[in-house]
Amino acid sequence: MVGEKLDPRKEFGKAVTELAELNSDIVILSADSGGSSGFGEFAKEHPERYFEFGIMEQGVMGIASGLATTGKIPVFCAIAPFVTVRPYEMFRNDLGYMKQNAKIVGRNSGLTYSDLGATHHSLEDYAIMRMIPGVVVLAPQDPVEIRYAVKAMLEHDGPVYMRIGNAAQPVLFEEKPFIIGKGTVLKEGEDITIISTGSITAEVLKAAVLLEEQGCNPHIIGMPTVCPIDEEIIVEAANRTGKIVTVEEHYLQGGLGTMVAEVCAAKSPVPVKMLGVPKVYAASGPYDELMALYGLDAKGIADAVLKA
Amino acid sequence: MDRKVIKELELNAAKCRRNVVRMVEASGCGHLGGALSCIDILTALYFYKMNISAQNPKLEDRDRFILSAGHKCMAQYAVLAEKGYFDKSVLDTYGRLNTKIPGHPDMHKLEGIEANTGALGHGLSIGCGMALGFKLDKMSSKVYVVMGDGELAEGSNWEAAAAAAHHKLDNLVVFVDNNGLQISGHTSDIMNFEPIAERFSSFGWAVKDIDGNNMKEIIETLDLIPMQCGKPTLIVSHTIKSKGISFAENKAAYHYWKPSKEELNQAIYETETAIKELELI
Repeated sequence: MVGEKLDPRKEFGKAVTELAELNSDIVILSADSGGSSGFGEFAKEHPERYFEFGIMEQGVMGIASGLATTGKIPVFCAIAPFVTVRPYEMFRNDLGYMKQNAKIVGRNSGLTYSDLGATHHSLEDYAIMRMIPGVVVLAPQDPVEIRYAVKAMLEHDGPVYMRIGNAAQPVLFEEKPFIIGKGTVLKEGEDITIISTGSITAEVLKAAVLLEEQGCNPHIIGMPTVCPIDEEIIVEAANRTGKIVTVEEHYLQGGLGTMVAEVCAAKSPVPVKMLGVPKVYAASGPYDELMALYGLDAKGIADAVLKA
Repeated sequence: MDRKVIKELELNAAKCRRNVVRMVEASGCGHLGGALSCIDILTALYFYKMNISAQNPKLEDRDRFILSAGHKCMAQYAVLAEKGYFDKSVLDTYGRLNTKIPGHPDMHKLEGIEANTGALGHGLSIGCGMALGFKLDKMSSKVYVVMGDGELAEGSNWEAAAAAAHHKLDNLVVFVDNNGLQISGHTSDIMNFEPIAERFSSFGWAVKDIDGNNMKEIIETLDLIPMQCGKPTLIVSHTIKSKGISFAENKAAYHYWKPSKEELNQAIYETETAIKELELI
């Protein structure tokens, strides 16, 4: 139900488990991470398809590749930096270069492990994963979209990186069919375009209400596929409003904002203001306070849009 | 053991050594030392042991071979060519733009290659995944991995070594090409992993030391696999770097070889002489 708050990891685990009932090629890999990724039920129901390896993310990435060569569809979910920056070469060579059908999911992503500090934050994952040729990068925006994204991810033949959060998230959509590579217009507007990805879209939608109260009518685009980016919807929006603001729980460099700017520079030059986290080892503390610190709460976003 | 079988395999290995020199001749350079130290093992696997088909490289229940030390790929190309996976004229494209046989193997370019190796410390994990997949499907396919000894310093190998034992992957067989030399000198001086067999044994592997350039010993060992039910197999293969080219044997300088004309001619002469001698026996 819209507005209800749900745990994204549980929704993710449930979605994979449901699809694994229908497809026996789906196998789950755990680096002491499966239980916290929503796979407790799966491990009980399908122990023969649930593989525990302990804390060895580099090894698991190669093992996922090997399993995929035998026709399995491995799903490996762990804390986001441990499946991205740590085993990056394994992701690039064993999954990307070898074009293997494995699904890697970074949970507790962005700043959501806020109090655990910079070792547990993932603020460069969009940037580095999009640099691997052939890798699809997904960041569903709410618990409902996570379920649809899981289906799209498992139906896609090739390596996928998906990012999900940690804290309970509000349901934004009653239904949200997912097409890899496509963004959607969440609200029509004329004054300025806001493009966001991942769970921060919830804050963007709140910011839209604040903006309307101040007489600004934003055009809102949700972009749950970070790579390949939906160029068409960006160009349409650039032509429509002449100005774009991007919002992401990621470094300002290399992520959604950079990709939108690349598209605009090539196809429809308009000013692009990027909102995100500056390239620092981020502070630690309560999640809401951290997001506010970096101007990524609804008020911060609305204020920045008005100044754009 | 049938002496004829061994002689035939030795002859094939000699032809493969000549193929390696042919690739170096084509490109002017290549990772010679490791290719020639492991080539007897590869010859035994492809010509004696593995269930594979050059005519049907994607045979569903085939065994898999992964060259974790991907820089030794001239050995694999040499064996695949000799086995009939592709025309030997392809060997003359080594080093050329868009060749099917690049400086590290690419499974999407050449039939018979099962993994894109080159960065060290990847092959064993990939092999574990394959072996796990075959176990899950109750398939009899085996996975053979050849690693370098210098490569053992990559920590990811030890993650995979633990995983293979934990998951009881007795369909996984690994050769460490223990030629004792790497690019900067003696492996034991650079980062000592001796005793290799004991280290793997302590991880839960079945282990054996052999002379990796002795065909009889290699195939007698292959006949024992799996050495222990429920355990992955590790064969420490004591080999000679650049084996078969007299002036290059046991010299780290020939890890990567950019031969002079005289050296090349000498290598061609020696590898062709070895073939002729074996044909006379």
